[in-house]
Amino acid sequence: MSDATKPPNGSGSQSPGIIGKRVPKLDALDKATGRAQYGHDVTLPGMLVGKILYANVPHARIVSVDIARAQKLRGVRAVITGANNPGRKFGYGTDNTPLKGDKVRCRRDEVAAVAAVDEDTANEALELIRVEYDELPAVFDPRAALVEGAPKIHHDKPSNLFTRYDYSHGDAERAFDSADVVVEGDFDLPYVTHSAMETAFCLAAFDLQGHLTVWSTTQIPFLLQRDLSEALGIPGREIRVIQPTIGGSFGRGLDVYPFEPITVQLAQATGKPVRISFSRTEEFFASAHRQPAIVRMRSAARHDGTLWAREARLVLDAGAYISWGAVTPLVMMETVASLYRVPHAKFVADVVYTNNLPTGAMRGYGNPQSTFFTEVQMDELAEKLGMDPVEFRLKNANQPNEETPQGLKITSCGLRECITEAAQRIGWESRAATDERRFETDEPHVRRGVGIACTLNVGGGARIYRSDGCGATVKVDDFGRVTLVTGSTEIGQGSETALAQIVAEAMGVRLEDVTVINSDTSVKPWDVGVHASRTTFIAGNAAWRAAQDAKRQILAHAAQMLNVSADALEIGDRIVRVKDDGRQVAFDKVVRALHYREGGTFVIGTGWYDPPTQLVDKDTYKGNISAAFGFGAQAVEVLVDMETGKVRVLRLVAAHDVGRAINPMYCEGQIEGGVQMGVGYALTEELLVRDGQILNPTFLDYRVPTALDMPEIETVLIETADPEGPFGAKGVGEMGGTPTAAAIANAIFDATGVRLRRLPMTGERVLAAIIKGESNAASQTEP
Amino acid sequence: MKPFEFFKPATIGDASKILADYGREGRALAGGTDLLIRMKRGQWTPRAVVSLNRIAALRAMEMNGELQLGARVTLGEIIRSAEARGQFPVLARTASKMAGVQVRSLATVGGNLCNASPSADMAPPLIALGARADIAGRDHERILPLEDFFVGPGQNALVPGEILRAIFIPRPADGFFCSYVKLEHREAMDIAIAGVAVSAQLAKSAAEIRNCLDVRIVLGAVAPVPRRAKRAEEILRGNDLTRERIQEAARLAASEAQPIDDVRGSAWYRRQMIEVLTRRQLLALMTAPL
Ligand SMILES: Cc1cc2nc3c(=O)[nH]c(=O)nc-3n(C[C@H](O)[C@H](O)[C@H](O)COP(=O)(O)OP(=O)(O)OC[C@H]3O[C@@H](n4cnc5c(N)ncnc54)[C@H](O)[C@@H]3O)c2cc1C
Repeated sequence: MSDATKPPNGSGSQSPGIIGKRVPKLDALDKATGRAQYGHDVTLPGMLVGKILYANVPHARIVSVDIARAQKLRGVRAVITGANNPGRKFGYGTDNTPLKGDKVRCRRDEVAAVAAVDEDTANEALELIRVEYDELPAVFDPRAALVEGAPKIHHDKPSNLFTRYDYSHGDAERAFDSADVVVEGDFDLPYVTHSAMETAFCLAAFDLQGHLTVWSTTQIPFLLQRDLSEALGIPGREIRVIQPTIGGSFGRGLDVYPFEPITVQLAQATGKPVRISFSRTEEFFASAHRQPAIVRMRSAARHDGTLWAREARLVLDAGAYISWGAVTPLVMMETVASLYRVPHAKFVADVVYTNNLPTGAMRGYGNPQSTFFTEVQMDELAEKLGMDPVEFRLKNANQPNEETPQGLKITSCGLRECITEAAQRIGWESRAATDERRFETDEPHVRRGVGIACTLNVGGGARIYRSDGCGATVKVDDFGRVTLVTGSTEIGQGSETALAQIVAEAMGVRLEDVTVINSDTSVKPWDVGVHASRTTFIAGNAAWRAAQDAKRQILAHAAQMLNVSADALEIGDRIVRVKDDGRQVAFDKVVRALHYREGGTFVIGTGWYDPPTQLVDKDTYKGNISAAFGFGAQAVEVLVDMETGKVRVLRLVAAHDVGRAINPMYCEGQIEGGVQMGVGYALTEELLVRDGQILNPTFLDYRVPTALDMPEIETVLIETADPEGPFGAKGVGEMGGTPTAAAIANAIFDATGVRLRRLPMTGERVLAAIIKGESNAASQTEP
Repeated sequence: MKPFEFFKPATIGDASKILADYGREGRALAGGTDLLIRMKRGQWTPRAVVSLNRIAALRAMEMNGELQLGARVTLGEIIRSAEARGQFPVLARTASKMAGVQVRSLATVGGNLCNASPSADMAPPLIALGARADIAGRDHERILPLEDFFVGPGQNALVPGEILRAIFIPRPADGFFCSYVKLEHREAMDIAIAGVAVSAQLAKSAAEIRNCLDVRIVLGAVAPVPRRAKRAEEILRGNDLTRERIQEAARLAASEAQPIDDVRGSAWYRRQMIEVLTRRQLLALMTAPL
């Protein structure tokens, strides 16, 4: 284990080398040419296709499941049900089982599963299964689910309230009485879904020793190992998880789903490898979507423009089972309590069981929701104060090296620079000039507006689990090839290459000399998973430590070979060199010299990094959960058609404090991709759910913005050289999409004078608000 | 997908014979962009699928007095064709607002019409242009005004064995204008929330005033079938275009819509949008270059 303390943060003397370079991703060509092997491409000899029969009733007792006809169908190898293959409870709320035996609680509930020789046969078999239900009263509104006498979803739980988060600092109650201006409103946030390019998949195979290998699109391979063990009673040590190339996930893979243990059960039942690949329709109704939120929010300020207090009360619909999505209030409360300096804050969130489809985690982990209502109210406060929204934000912005009342230890912080850059580049001065003509466009019915919103994100891991650690090893072979084995996971975000850049820089080798292995739990060291924008920061620090360790071993031996002390040496471009006199030995030769000698050894460095952070206190929710914080500001220019309500985002400036861009291209890619999701959240994306059923489970009616819908995006990377981050880097994976919806809502207000508090802001909703605003100019609440 | 028999006849006669034999259990295949989706979802389970793709006659696009647009012409071909761009720019513009590039190189105009979706984008402008459907059966032919071709959602006037061969579109006279506006949530890959096509034969009645000799206003996605707003047409036909008349016509058009609430929009919004889209296109005619 390395005793190296910290990698340089980029402000020191280190030569820039490969850090900060726009090198293409190591896997770019494979992906662009279709060579990359995704999960759906993996096949094994004798492999069967698995399919699941879903309940499609929202709440019912299962009276009987008749599988006799399905079993007899030619080509069917196994039909399993909750009765013949019950499985055990698993999941974040230990409330789910793979197949349901007695009762179904939502339409997605898995009632039976089939393994067959091909997909058509499996589908036909599903049609032959007869299930008799005794329907129970169902509840779909989380507020109604909290009322006495509401249908109970889980009989072994005290009530439908899974948990309440109750946070406060200062004295929010009294602060509202002593404030000069107060704004208040109800917000309504929809179900949205990840829409990853690759749908979810699981392939399970047992070897003859009874050991299980699972190929999966998971983001949490080690927790999958544990959950599968829990759900099936197979010892964890007999489970190996392999992650093939993963085509995006955005939080979908943060939980273990019933279909995964079911795949394993089918493999057990048939003795053959079995694969379940989600169809796009399944992806729409069987993934855990971003949960909808019903929000009552107040914000207050003083005359001089000091932000004074915030209070948010939320009801979150967990659906029928609890996922890691139930933890998102921890992130939401961070925005309410710590984005800007907030003297008084209160945050209460109820996570509630209903008969809706289970909800979960999605990019931003609660932050897109809370940033929307928090930043819309910042705008409303500025307006009530008669203050410019940019000036109001600058006045209250977080600053470097301060601790928030919530206990967040903010170190590097470029929020002010982000706001200034975004405002300047969008042309904010014209707004400040309060010139009426700035609203005008070529068409009389179209108005122009600008808006801004900011974001605070964890940027140095997030301790929501006891460990926030990651392990890494760096091995060097006798040709000088450097292999990083990291616990972390690549799901398309490009962290693999960023980690390779960190290792290349730390070792003094070329980027093309580095291989990254990150896909197999039997090879890679522990890691919590890919989430919370943590990989470059956490896995980067671990990789740097492992590389330092390996480098020290090489230098120690080179020192013997060159007869100098190790500190007299440097490595650069595959050569170990004496700094003073230029004597040198090839990097690979040092490794060979270690291998080919009596009592020889090999070069392998190890590194472990678990950030200096805490789990929040379980009663007060205070504590520093992240070792660094990322910031950003987005400013947009929109056009609003006053007769159709249609909003067109013309330009968007995204200025984000990334600490240090290990590779500016990937930072821009993450931010632009985030903005795309943010524009969808703002304007077009919504899963329409009625009686627990999704009405629009296709990309035709679930409208992800297309290239033609996207604004011109200008990305500005603010580099604040974080003291704890590898070469100064902070996490950037989630924050690109976090402030977008609020910035657009604020721009719509600027253009039209109406406030939208419900997402998405479709033409119809905007028009309704405009009409209501006109007929009732005094009140600015949305219908 | 359920198994089916697949045929690739070379003539319209053969195709219509096979389709007639299978009756309701046979389906013609053009681009397949509607058909295959239904089949994959299990909504349609034909026993026979009859590809029209080897029948050269269906692919012709010719100008002889009027435009003969083969049913098998793709949306992409319409966008690229000189005839459409020159004489019928509304067709090229409409096609370019449908689906996306990949779908447009498969999807056909005949498929769009035969599929008879209330929101089919090709229908309103073609009806506004006064198009007629050229239909061929096993041993008969008939021609139908296109507005009579639609019977209900997903239902057209063809009987088993009949094939839509072509669309006939009269050559526009001087002073003829036609436009179509589709309101959608996204800029591409979207189905109309509402659509309105307007065509007019204009003449100068005074220096700056346009007289409307004839007019058609066709509404899409707001009724079981594409529908003409005849009362709105009525108050314009033979009259000078004035702002007041246009406002009134737009209101009438909205009242003639029979929209429903669905995942794309509410009936309220759709009706409202018919008025806006109609008014905007009529107002543009006030300054049409004559
Ligand atoms: C992603 C996507 C986006 C789309 N966007 C739009 C859009 O913006 N606007 C829009 O209007 N539509 C849209 N569509 C629907 C579809 O693409 C169009 O309706 C298309 O024009 C159908 O043509 P096709 O050749 O593919 O028809 P097919 O699928 O081949 O056939 C459709 C139906 O018509 C019948 N048929 C076809 N040709 C004939 C014929 N000559 N005689 C008799 N019967 C025939 C078939 O039997 C079938 O019932 C979209 C579809 C997709 C998949």
